[in-house]
Amino acid sequence: MSVFKLDPEVYKRYKDEVLKLCNSFQRIDQPGLSDKQIAERLGLDERTVTEIRCVAERDCYSLEEWEKAIEFKRKATLEWSALALKRPDLKPE
Amino acid sequence: MTLPPTATAALKSVALKSGATVCGVADATAFDAYAPEKHRPGDLLPGARSVVVVGGAQPREGDWAATSPWVLQTMGTTERIQGVGRRLAQYIEHEFGYYALYVPPGTASGDTPFLSLMLAAQLAGLGSKSLAGPVLNREHGFMYWSAVITTAPFDGDQVEAAAACPAPPCREMWEREGTTPCLKVCPAADGGCLSGKLESGRAVRTFYDAARCNTRVHTHWIGGFQKVLEETLNEPDRDKRKMLLYGDFFTRSLWAITYSSTNIAQCFECMRVCPAAHGLKEMK
Amino acid sequence: MTREEQVKAVGLKAGARVVGIAAVDAFREKVPEGYRPGDILPGARSVVVAGGDGPTAGAWRCPDHRVMEITGYDLRENVAVHAMCDFIEGALSHHAIQAPSLPVHGHEPPMSMMHAAELAGLGTRSLAAHIILNPEYGLLYYAALITTLPLEPDPPLAEPACPHPGCAAMYKRIGTTPCLRVCPACLAGTVQDGRIQASTYDREKCHSRAQTYGIGSFQKGLLQIVNEDDPGRRRTMIYGDFFTKSLQSVGFFRDSIAQCFECMRVCPVGRKYRKLQ
Repeated sequence: MSVFKLDPEVYKRYKDEVLKLCNSFQRIDQPGLSDKQIAERLGLDERTVTEIRCVAERDCYSLEEWEKAIEFKRKATLEWSALALKRPDLKPE
Repeated sequence: MTLPPTATAALKSVALKSGATVCGVADATAFDAYAPEKHRPGDLLPGARSVVVVGGAQPREGDWAATSPWVLQTMGTTERIQGVGRRLAQYIEHEFGYYALYVPPGTASGDTPFLSLMLAAQLAGLGSKSLAGPVLNREHGFMYWSAVITTAPFDGDQVEAAAACPAPPCREMWEREGTTPCLKVCPAADGGCLSGKLESGRAVRTFYDAARCNTRVHTHWIGGFQKVLEETLNEPDRDKRKMLLYGDFFTRSLWAITYSSTNIAQCFECMRVCPAAHGLKEMK
Repeated sequence: MTREEQVKAVGLKAGARVVGIAAVDAFREKVPEGYRPGDILPGARSVVVAGGDGPTAGAWRCPDHRVMEITGYDLRENVAVHAMCDFIEGALSHHAIQAPSLPVHGHEPPMSMMHAAELAGLGTRSLAAHIILNPEYGLLYYAALITTLPLEPDPPLAEPACPHPGCAAMYKRIGTTPCLRVCPACLAGTVQDGRIQASTYDREKCHSRAQTYGIGSFQKGLLQIVNEDDPGRRRTMIYGDFFTKSLQSVGFFRDSIAQCFECMRVCPVGRKYRKLQ
C-alpha cells in the first residue's frame, strides 16, 4: 500500500466543480465551502475532496502563468519606481 | 585563565533570564561512556570541558488541551530554546573568554545528531529517560533542549537520583493492567513504537521502534518527501505522477520542510497521556 | 489596567503594531465547522489578534522587485502572540495557544487569520485580494492566539478602510482604482457610493505572483522534470534559474512568504508611514 493517490479520472470529473466551490475564486461577500461541505454537496467523501482540491489548486494554471508573474512584477515595480521616485530612467521598455 | 567562582551561577542566571526553564552543566568526559565516537563533546570542540544544557520552550498547557492535531504539529515551539543556546554560546565567549560551540539541532547525517541532546540533558542533571523515550524533568516534565559545548570548566551538576518516570499513577496502572499510559497508546505489539516492563516501580526493559516513530513524529517531512519522489519516478502514468506531486501529502510535506522549525515534531501521543510530562501547574 | 489592556500591552511591547480581541462566538456566522476557535481549543472564549509590520518603507522603494520577494517580514506578530500566550498561561492561569495558521491541506489553514483580524476590529477587507487593511497602517500581517480567558471583545470596524476616498474618487472618474488597474489578472470589483459593491479575487493566479518561488513552483517544476525524457533538457531544468530559486525559497520560505506587493504598492491606505527621508 502506498500513499493515498487520487484516481486521475475522478480528479478530471470533479476538479472544476471543487475549484468553483472552495476558496480558489473568491467573492468578497461569499466565503468558500469547506472540504466537508463540498463533499456533502457532490456526494463524495471528504478525503477525496481534499485531494481533488489540493491537486486542482496546483494544476489550475500552467507554469506559463509563473513566467507571466515574473515579468508582471518586474515591470510593475519599475513603472511605479519611475513615477513615484521621479526616475524616468527606470521606466521599463 | 580561570573562571571566577561565581561564573556558573552567573551563567545559569543569564540562561534563565534569556528564557530557559532549567539550566545544568555536564562534564564533557561523562559522555565518553555513552556516546559513540565522533558524537562526543571533544569530537566537536577539541579541549571541551563542559556541556551547558538548557531546557524549556515546552508546549503550553493549552497546546496539550487543544483538540486540533495541527496545533502541536505545525506551531511547535522548539525554536525558542535554540535561541537561548545560541545566546549562551556568545555570552560564554564574550564574558569569560573561553571557546563555546552551540550544538546545531540538526543531524550530522541520516537521523544521527551531532551530539545527543537527550543524553546531554541527563548528564547535566536536568532529567531522565522515560519509558516513552523523551527525557522528562521532575518538575517541568517534557521540554525541548539546547546545548553548548565549551572549554570553560563550569561546575558540573549531578545526574538525577530519582527519575520522573514511571510516575505514581503509571506504577499503579502497571500493577492493575500490566501497562502504562504511553505503552497503551502506542504499543509495539499492535503497530506502535513502544513496549516495556516495570518491576518494583522501575523500568527494567524498554523497547522503542525508532523507524516507526519516525513515520509518526516526522509524518510530513524529508522521509515522506523521499518516498513520494521515489514512487513518482517509478510511476509510468503521467496523470498519476501529477496526483502524487500535487497531492495533499506531498504538498503538506513541503510546507513542513519549509517551516521545519515549527513542524519538527508531529506526534505527541505518548507525551499527551503521560502524567509526568506536563509540569505541575493547574489551569482554567 | 484592565485584563484586556494588560494582555494588549504585552503584545505591543513584544513588537505588535496593533492588538485586538474577538469573541469566539463571533466566528460562528461565517466560519464552517472544524475551523472555528472552539474546534481547536476546547473551552475557548477569546481570540487575541496581533498585527505586525510588513516590509520597511525602504524596501517599498527598491526598484528591484526581487528584494521584497526574499526580504519577507520579521514575523513580529508571532513573537507578540507567544509573549501574550506566556502571559495568559503564566500570570492568568488560563489556557492559551498560538492559533494554527500554516496551510495544512493545500492552501487551507486550520483557521483564518484574516477573518480573526476583521472580527477583532483591526481592519476590513479590501478590493486588493481581500487583504485586510488597517485604516491607520494599511497592510499588516496577522497572527492570533486562542484562549479560555474571557476578555471583552473589540467591535469590528464600523467604517471600512477600503475604498480610500482617493480611490472612490478615482473610480467615479475612470471606473477603476489603483489596485484594480495594476492587477486586473487577479482582481475585479466595483465601487458605488464610496463602498465596495462587488469584488472578486483569483487566488490561484495570485498564488503564481505572491508565491512565485516556493512550494507550488517546486511541485510544478518537479513534475515537468520527471516528465521530461531528454536528459539534456532535464538537466537544464534542474539547474536552471527557476528551479534553483524555487529550491532556495523552499529552504528560506519564511523569509519569502509574500512575493508580490503590486496591489499594495499603489494602495494609499497607510502610505503616510512610507514617506521618510
